[in-house]
Amino acid sequence: MSLHEGELHKLIDCIVTSHYDDCLDCETCARELDCLAERVAMGAKINDLLPEVATHLCCCRDCFEEFEALVAILRAENSGQLDGIG
Amino acid sequence: MIDRTNEQWLADLTGKPDVQAPALEDLRYRLQRGIFYYLSRERSDLTHLSGQELGQMAEDLAQDATLRVMDNLDSFRGDSRFTTWATKIAVRLAISDLRRSRYKDFSLDGLTAEGEVLPSAGDTFPTHTAPTPENATERADVMMKIERALREALTERQYQALSAVALQDVPLEIVAERLGTNRNALYKLLHDARRKLRQHLEAQGLSTDYMLKLFEE
Repeated sequence: MSLHEGELHKLIDCIVTSHYDDCLDCETCARELDCLAERVAMGAKINDLLPEVATHLCCCRDCFEEFEALVAILRAENSGQLDGIG
Repeated sequence: MIDRTNEQWLADLTGKPDVQAPALEDLRYRLQRGIFYYLSRERSDLTHLSGQELGQMAEDLAQDATLRVMDNLDSFRGDSRFTTWATKIAVRLAISDLRRSRYKDFSLDGLTAEGEVLPSAGDTFPTHTAPTPENATERADVMMKIERALREALTERQYQALSAVALQDVPLEIVAERLGTNRNALYKLLHDARRKLRQHLEAQGLSTDYMLKLFEE
Protein backbone atom coordinates (compact mmCIF):
# COMPACT_ATOMS: atom_id res chain seq x y z
CA MET A 1 0.00 0.00 0.00
CA SER A 2 1.34 3.38 -0.89
CA LEU A 3 -0.62 6.58 -0.53
CA HIS A 4 -0.11 9.36 -3.01
CA GLU A 5 -0.07 12.83 -1.51
CA GLY A 6 -3.23 13.77 -3.40
CA GLU A 7 -4.97 10.81 -1.79
CA LEU A 8 -3.56 11.79 1.56
CA HIS A 9 -5.24 15.17 1.28
CA LYS A 10 -8.55 13.46 0.58
CA LEU A 11 -8.03 11.16 3.53
CA ILE A 12 -7.25 14.02 5.88
CA ASP A 13 -10.29 15.91 4.62
CA CYS A 14 -12.39 12.86 5.25
CA ILE A 15 -11.09 12.51 8.80
CA VAL A 16 -11.53 16.21 9.48
CA THR A 17 -15.16 16.16 8.38
CA SER A 18 -15.99 13.15 10.55
CA HIS A 19 -18.11 14.02 13.55
CA TYR A 20 -18.08 12.48 16.97
CA ASP A 21 -21.72 12.84 17.81
CA ASP A 22 -24.34 10.29 16.85
CA CYS A 23 -24.53 10.40 13.09
CA LEU A 24 -27.69 10.88 11.12
CA ASP A 25 -27.99 8.14 8.52
CA CYS A 26 -28.85 8.42 4.84
CA GLU A 27 -32.43 7.22 5.27
CA THR A 28 -33.22 9.82 7.91
CA CYS A 29 -31.55 12.47 5.79
CA ALA A 30 -33.56 11.43 2.73
CA ARG A 31 -36.82 11.77 4.67
CA GLU A 32 -36.05 15.42 5.41
CA LEU A 33 -34.66 16.28 1.99
CA ASP A 34 -37.82 17.43 0.16
CA CYS A 35 -38.96 19.78 2.91
CA LEU A 36 -35.45 21.11 3.40
CA ALA A 37 -34.82 21.58 -0.32
CA GLU A 38 -38.03 23.58 -0.71
CA ARG A 39 -36.95 26.03 1.96
CA VAL A 40 -33.37 26.26 0.75
CA ALA A 41 -34.63 26.89 -2.80
CA MET A 42 -36.55 29.83 -1.33
CA GLY A 43 -33.37 31.25 0.20
CA ALA A 44 -33.14 29.68 3.67
CA LYS A 45 -29.83 28.36 5.04
CA ILE A 46 -29.60 24.66 5.81
CA ASN A 47 -27.71 25.22 9.04
CA ASP A 48 -30.49 27.44 10.34
CA LEU A 49 -33.10 24.80 9.58
CA LEU A 50 -31.70 21.35 10.28
CA PRO A 51 -28.07 21.47 11.39
CA GLU A 52 -27.87 17.71 11.87
CA VAL A 53 -28.90 17.18 8.25
CA ALA A 54 -26.37 19.81 7.19
CA THR A 55 -23.69 17.83 9.04
CA HIS A 56 -24.71 14.64 7.25
CA LEU A 57 -24.65 16.39 3.88
CA CYS A 58 -21.07 17.53 4.59
CA CYS A 59 -20.01 13.93 5.15
CA CYS A 60 -22.11 12.12 2.54
CA ARG A 61 -21.46 12.97 -1.10
CA ASP A 62 -24.34 10.83 -2.36
CA CYS A 63 -26.95 12.62 -0.26
CA PHE A 64 -25.39 15.99 -1.02
CA GLU A 65 -25.50 15.34 -4.77
CA GLU A 66 -29.18 14.43 -4.56
CA PHE A 67 -29.96 17.42 -2.37
CA GLU A 68 -28.20 19.82 -4.75
CA ALA A 69 -30.02 18.34 -7.74
CA LEU A 70 -33.39 18.73 -6.05
CA VAL A 71 -32.66 22.32 -5.03
CA ALA A 72 -31.53 23.13 -8.58
CA ILE A 73 -34.76 21.77 -10.06
CA LEU A 74 -36.91 23.60 -7.50
CA ARG A 75 -35.08 26.87 -8.14
CA ALA A 76 -35.59 26.41 -11.88
CA GLU A 77 -39.26 25.70 -11.28
CA ASN A 78 -39.69 28.71 -8.98
CA SER A 79 -38.08 31.00 -11.54
CA GLY A 80 -40.20 29.68 -14.40
CA GLN A 81 -37.28 28.02 -16.20
CA LEU A 82 -39.12 24.71 -16.49
CA ASP A 83 -42.06 26.29 -18.31
CA GLY A 84 -40.37 26.14 -21.68
CA ILE A 85 -39.34 22.51 -21.31
CA GLY A 86 -41.30 19.62 -22.73
CA MET B 1 -51.70 20.80 -16.48
CA ILE B 2 -53.86 21.30 -13.38
CA ASP B 3 -52.47 22.80 -10.19
CA ARG B 4 -53.41 20.43 -7.40
CA THR B 5 -53.13 20.59 -3.65
CA ASN B 6 -51.39 17.68 -1.93
CA GLU B 7 -54.77 16.22 -1.03
CA GLN B 8 -55.97 16.50 -4.62
CA TRP B 9 -52.85 14.77 -5.92
CA LEU B 10 -53.37 11.86 -3.56
CA ALA B 11 -57.07 11.66 -4.29
CA ASP B 12 -56.61 11.82 -8.05
CA LEU B 13 -53.72 9.38 -8.21
CA THR B 14 -55.72 6.83 -6.26
CA GLY B 15 -59.04 7.69 -7.88
CA LYS B 16 -61.08 6.06 -10.61
CA PRO B 17 -59.35 5.50 -13.95
CA ASP B 18 -60.86 8.60 -15.60
CA VAL B 19 -59.44 10.75 -12.78
CA GLN B 20 -56.25 8.80 -12.25
CA ALA B 21 -55.08 8.73 -15.86
CA PRO B 22 -54.75 12.53 -16.33
CA ALA B 23 -53.17 12.87 -12.88
CA LEU B 24 -50.60 10.23 -13.77
CA GLU B 25 -49.84 12.01 -17.03
CA ASP B 26 -49.47 15.36 -15.23
CA LEU B 27 -47.14 13.80 -12.71
CA ARG B 28 -45.04 12.08 -15.37
CA TYR B 29 -44.81 15.31 -17.36
CA ARG B 30 -43.73 17.32 -14.31
CA LEU B 31 -41.07 14.78 -13.41
CA GLN B 32 -39.84 14.63 -16.99
CA ARG B 33 -39.38 18.40 -17.12
CA GLY B 34 -37.41 18.45 -13.90
CA ILE B 35 -35.22 15.54 -14.90
CA PHE B 36 -34.57 17.01 -18.33
CA TYR B 37 -33.55 20.30 -16.73
CA TYR B 38 -31.17 18.50 -14.40
CA LEU B 39 -29.61 16.36 -17.11
CA SER B 40 -29.21 19.19 -19.58
CA ARG B 41 -28.23 22.08 -17.29
CA GLU B 42 -26.66 20.61 -14.20
CA ARG B 43 -24.65 17.62 -15.48
CA SER B 44 -21.36 18.63 -17.03
CA ASP B 45 -20.61 14.94 -17.72
CA LEU B 46 -23.56 14.69 -20.12
CA THR B 47 -22.74 17.60 -22.40
CA HIS B 48 -21.69 15.16 -25.15
CA LEU B 49 -25.30 13.97 -25.48
CA SER B 50 -27.72 15.63 -27.86
CA GLY B 51 -30.93 17.25 -26.72
CA GLN B 52 -32.84 14.37 -28.25
CA GLU B 53 -30.78 11.81 -26.34
CA LEU B 54 -31.23 13.70 -23.09
CA GLY B 55 -34.93 14.01 -23.82
CA GLN B 56 -35.22 10.26 -24.28
CA MET B 57 -33.32 9.65 -21.05
CA ALA B 58 -35.59 12.06 -19.20
CA GLU B 59 -38.67 10.39 -20.65
CA ASP B 60 -37.55 6.90 -19.62
CA LEU B 61 -36.51 8.04 -16.16
CA ALA B 62 -39.77 9.94 -15.64
CA GLN B 63 -41.72 6.83 -16.56
CA ASP B 64 -39.82 4.76 -14.01
CA ALA B 65 -40.03 7.52 -11.41
CA THR B 66 -43.81 7.78 -11.82
CA LEU B 67 -44.14 4.08 -11.09
CA ARG B 68 -41.89 4.40 -8.07
CA VAL B 69 -43.88 7.36 -6.75
CA MET B 70 -47.07 5.33 -7.09
CA ASP B 71 -45.48 2.43 -5.22
CA ASN B 72 -44.53 4.76 -2.37
CA LEU B 73 -47.61 6.95 -2.07
CA ASP B 74 -48.25 5.64 1.44
CA SER B 75 -44.97 7.09 2.66
CA PHE B 76 -45.77 10.68 1.66
CA ARG B 77 -45.96 12.60 4.95
CA GLY B 78 -47.12 15.93 3.56
CA ASP B 79 -44.16 17.91 4.91
CA SER B 80 -43.50 19.37 1.46
CA ARG B 81 -45.49 19.88 -1.71
CA PHE B 82 -46.41 16.54 -3.23
CA THR B 83 -44.57 17.40 -6.44
CA THR B 84 -41.38 18.18 -4.49
CA TRP B 85 -41.57 14.82 -2.76
CA ALA B 86 -42.15 13.10 -6.10
CA THR B 87 -39.24 15.01 -7.65
CA LYS B 88 -37.03 13.84 -4.78
CA ILE B 89 -37.82 10.26 -5.75
CA ALA B 90 -37.19 11.01 -9.42
CA VAL B 91 -33.88 12.71 -8.68
CA ARG B 92 -32.65 9.78 -6.65
CA LEU B 93 -33.65 7.36 -9.37
CA ALA B 94 -31.98 9.43 -12.10
CA ILE B 95 -28.76 9.92 -10.18
CA SER B 96 -28.63 6.23 -9.24
CA ASP B 97 -29.00 5.34 -12.88
CA LEU B 98 -26.18 7.68 -13.86
CA ARG B 99 -23.92 6.34 -11.11
CA ARG B 100 -24.50 2.72 -12.12
CA SER B 101 -23.76 3.53 -15.72
CA ARG B 102 -20.57 5.43 -14.89
CA TYR B 103 -19.22 2.85 -12.45
CA LYS B 104 -20.47 -0.29 -14.17
CA ASP B 105 -16.90 -1.69 -14.35
CA PHE B 106 -15.83 -0.63 -10.87
CA SER B 107 -14.51 -3.40 -8.67
CA LEU B 108 -13.28 -3.52 -5.09
CA ASP B 109 -10.78 -6.24 -6.02
CA GLY B 110 -7.29 -5.10 -5.23
CA LEU B 111 -8.38 -2.52 -2.70
CA THR B 112 -6.65 -4.13 0.23
CA ALA B 113 -4.34 -2.69 2.83
CA GLU B 114 -1.60 -4.97 1.46
CA GLY B 115 -2.20 -4.07 -2.16
CA GLU B 116 -1.47 -0.90 -4.02
CA VAL B 117 -3.96 1.92 -3.75
CA LEU B 118 -4.86 2.83 -7.29
CA PRO B 119 -2.90 5.79 -8.62
CA SER B 120 -4.88 8.98 -8.72
CA ALA B 121 -4.64 11.91 -11.04
CA GLY B 122 -3.04 15.06 -9.69
CA ASP B 123 -1.12 13.31 -6.97
CA THR B 124 1.72 15.76 -6.93
CA PHE B 125 1.72 19.03 -5.09
CA PRO B 126 1.32 22.22 -7.05
CA THR B 127 4.61 24.16 -7.20
CA HIS B 128 3.44 26.82 -4.74
CA THR B 129 2.91 24.19 -2.06
CA ALA B 130 6.17 22.31 -2.59
CA PRO B 131 7.59 21.42 0.83
CA THR B 132 10.96 22.50 2.22
CA PRO B 133 13.45 19.62 2.87
CA GLU B 134 12.65 19.65 6.63
CA ASN B 135 8.98 19.79 5.91
CA ALA B 136 9.26 16.98 3.36
CA THR B 137 10.86 14.70 5.97
CA GLU B 138 8.10 15.49 8.44
CA ARG B 139 5.45 14.87 5.82
CA ALA B 140 6.99 11.53 4.85
CA ASP B 141 6.99 10.50 8.50
CA VAL B 142 3.36 11.47 8.95
CA MET B 143 2.37 9.71 5.73
CA MET B 144 4.03 6.54 6.98
CA LYS B 145 2.09 6.79 10.23
CA ILE B 146 -1.16 7.34 8.38
CA GLU B 147 -0.55 4.33 6.15
CA ARG B 148 0.20 2.26 9.22
CA ALA B 149 -2.95 3.56 10.88
CA LEU B 150 -4.98 2.48 7.86
CA ARG B 151 -3.62 -1.06 8.22
CA GLU B 152 -3.87 -1.26 12.00
CA ALA B 153 -7.01 0.65 12.89
CA LEU B 154 -9.39 -0.52 10.18
CA THR B 155 -10.91 -3.85 9.28
CA GLU B 156 -10.43 -5.03 5.70
CA ARG B 157 -14.02 -4.09 4.89
CA GLN B 158 -13.62 -0.62 6.40
CA TYR B 159 -10.38 -0.16 4.49
CA GLN B 160 -11.98 -1.13 1.17
CA ALA B 161 -14.94 1.15 1.75
CA LEU B 162 -12.86 4.12 2.84
CA SER B 163 -10.41 3.69 -0.03
CA ALA B 164 -13.17 3.57 -2.61
CA VAL B 165 -15.31 6.38 -1.22
CA ALA B 166 -12.76 8.80 0.23
CA LEU B 167 -9.78 8.23 -2.06
CA GLN B 168 -11.36 7.26 -5.36
CA ASP B 169 -14.55 9.30 -5.04
CA VAL B 170 -16.78 6.32 -5.83
CA PRO B 171 -20.39 6.93 -4.76
CA LEU B 172 -21.53 5.17 -1.59
CA GLU B 173 -24.35 3.59 -3.50
CA ILE B 174 -21.95 1.80 -5.84
CA VAL B 175 -19.60 0.69 -3.08
CA ALA B 176 -22.55 -0.54 -1.02
CA GLU B 177 -23.73 -2.68 -3.93
CA ARG B 178 -20.28 -4.18 -4.40
CA LEU B 179 -20.01 -4.92 -0.69
CA GLY B 180 -23.44 -6.53 -0.69
CA THR B 181 -24.89 -4.02 1.73
CA ASN B 182 -26.98 -0.87 1.53
CA ARG B 183 -26.04 2.79 1.54
CA ASN B 184 -27.26 3.37 5.05
CA ALA B 185 -25.19 0.55 6.50
CA LEU B 186 -22.17 1.63 4.49
CA TYR B 187 -22.47 5.19 5.74
CA LYS B 188 -22.40 3.90 9.32
CA LEU B 189 -19.44 1.66 8.53
CA LEU B 190 -17.57 4.62 7.05
CA HIS B 191 -18.51 6.81 9.98
CA ASP B 192 -17.00 4.25 12.37
CA ALA B 193 -13.91 3.89 10.16
CA ARG B 194 -13.29 7.63 10.11
CA ARG B 195 -13.69 7.92 13.86
CA LYS B 196 -11.37 4.95 14.48
CA LEU B 197 -8.76 6.38 12.17
CA ARG B 198 -9.01 9.79 13.75
CA GLN B 199 -8.73 8.38 17.27
CA HIS B 200 -5.80 6.15 16.25
CA LEU B 201 -3.94 9.10 14.77
CA GLU B 202 -4.74 11.40 17.67
CA ALA B 203 -3.41 8.77 20.08
CA GLN B 204 -0.09 9.10 18.26
CA GLY B 205 -0.11 12.86 18.59
CA LEU B 206 -1.32 13.48 15.06
CA SER B 207 -4.23 15.86 15.38
CA THR B 208 -6.21 16.80 12.31
CA ASP B 209 -5.19 20.44 12.81
CA TYR B 210 -1.52 19.46 12.80
CA MET B 211 -1.89 17.32 9.64
CA LEU B 212 -3.89 19.99 7.86
CA LYS B 213 -1.25 22.60 8.67
CA LEU B 214 1.62 20.34 7.71
CA PHE B 215 0.21 19.47 4.30
CA GLU B 216 -1.08 22.93 3.52
CA GLU B 217 2.23 24.64 4.13
